[in-house]
Amino acid sequence: MSDDLSQVKLPDDDGRVPVRLDVNGRARTLRVHPTQTLLDALREQLRLHGARSGCGVGMCGACTVIIDEQAVSGCLTMAALCDGRQVRTVEGLEARDGTLSPVPEAFLRHRAFQCSYCTSGFVLALEALLAADPEPDEAAVREAFSGHICRCGSYSRIMAAAREVAGIGTALDVAAVETRERA
Amino acid sequence: MSAPAVFFPRTVAEAVELLDAYDGSAKLVAGGTALTLMLQQRLVSPEALVSLRDVPGLGGTSVEGGVVRLGALVTHTQAARHALVRAHLPVAATAFSLVGNAQVRAAATVGGVLAEADYASDPPAALLALDAEVLAVGPGGERRMPIAEFLVGFYQTTLAPEEIVTRVDVPALPPTAGSAYLKHTSRSHEDRPCVGVAAVVRSDGDGTCRDLRVAVGAACDRPLRLVDVEAGAVGSPLDDAAVEAVATAYAERVDPVADVRGSAWYRREMVQVWVRRAVHAARRAAEHTTNDQREGAVL
Repeated sequence: MSDDLSQVKLPDDDGRVPVRLDVNGRARTLRVHPTQTLLDALREQLRLHGARSGCGVGMCGACTVIIDEQAVSGCLTMAALCDGRQVRTVEGLEARDGTLSPVPEAFLRHRAFQCSYCTSGFVLALEALLAADPEPDEAAVREAFSGHICRCGSYSRIMAAAREVAGIGTALDVAAVETRERA
Repeated sequence: MSAPAVFFPRTVAEAVELLDAYDGSAKLVAGGTALTLMLQQRLVSPEALVSLRDVPGLGGTSVEGGVVRLGALVTHTQAARHALVRAHLPVAATAFSLVGNAQVRAAATVGGVLAEADYASDPPAALLALDAEVLAVGPGGERRMPIAEFLVGFYQTTLAPEEIVTRVDVPALPPTAGSAYLKHTSRSHEDRPCVGVAAVVRSDGDGTCRDLRVAVGAACDRPLRLVDVEAGAVGSPLDDAAVEAVATAYAERVDPVADVRGSAWYRREMVQVWVRRAVHAARRAAEHTTNDQREGAVL
């Protein structure tokens, strides 16, 4: 067995192990219980509440984070096993001056939510997809959104926002539809 | 429960050594999607977590002598999209593409899904229909097991606690074979399968069946293949009556589980329906490939 301690993390007296993460571009070191989820570590230790706890079993998408460019479920990921990885949460999509990246900007413009509990998950899924494939077709967007549940049913607005950012066809102009409906 | 130690070995040998040292009380982690849940639900309480993430050489896909080699750390997304898998093992590509959702497929691995042996999963049935072989490394070296011998029961494999699945070898389907994986979900689109059926069909130009393979997954404790039923269909035309006879045999002989996705009675009914549909789909696919070849299409 190797003596290289970077390969071994023994729990301290509190049963915790150290984890070094790059979270939204900032180096963070925290101590976690070895089986603690990344979702819990982000929320409880780093006070980043953008990733939400929903179903707890990887089916609803509310806890989605991006690890090394891959959108994954924070509730199915152990923080201790993410040592040395890059983690992005929805908080990382806001610049210091408050400017949002194009995806959350489009979600706001299309008001692609009601309660917004699912929004960060959808936004990060689309961010990860666009990073890998800047010109996805609608099937790719729908695949990336699999495992994301909007219990308010704002899917048509979410897809409108996604189509606009992904440059797919003509985005449905929800505002125009509403104006027409009112007329 | 004391907190487990966490290890990031750099070689398969180191990982095996750790598993051996912990004598069954360590858990190996690949994608971690299943294990994280079991840990949260306190179904397991290992003394060590041994991550495979820093072990190189387990994440590749290649073809060698007509056999597609899937590394244990190949993710479901990679398996579903890889050109070699899509070309030579389309039924496996489909099964991997239908597991859970995009986030789960991005993390879950080929080795993980086999070592876990969860009955309610899609890839094992497809890999069984493809006569896949599992390669495992332990203290005594490497051994190779047909998947039919590897999966022995409900979450049970013949893998020893100190062994690691390193690769899955899957013989490429002949170009004239047609195949299909059909997944029946009873609750929601992204659910685990209630019943999943993988079928492979190869016929002569005159419609005589030359090869039939049917594996039923998620309906019983491990994927079910009835090789005598398969062999019985070979040598005569695979017409609708023959397909129905195969479906009936599987429905009669399956020992169905009852769970939240369906009662035992319902599962037996669904096995009949989905075996029929899967064999029909594979037969149609075989007819297309045969026609394409007759017309001289470049495949």
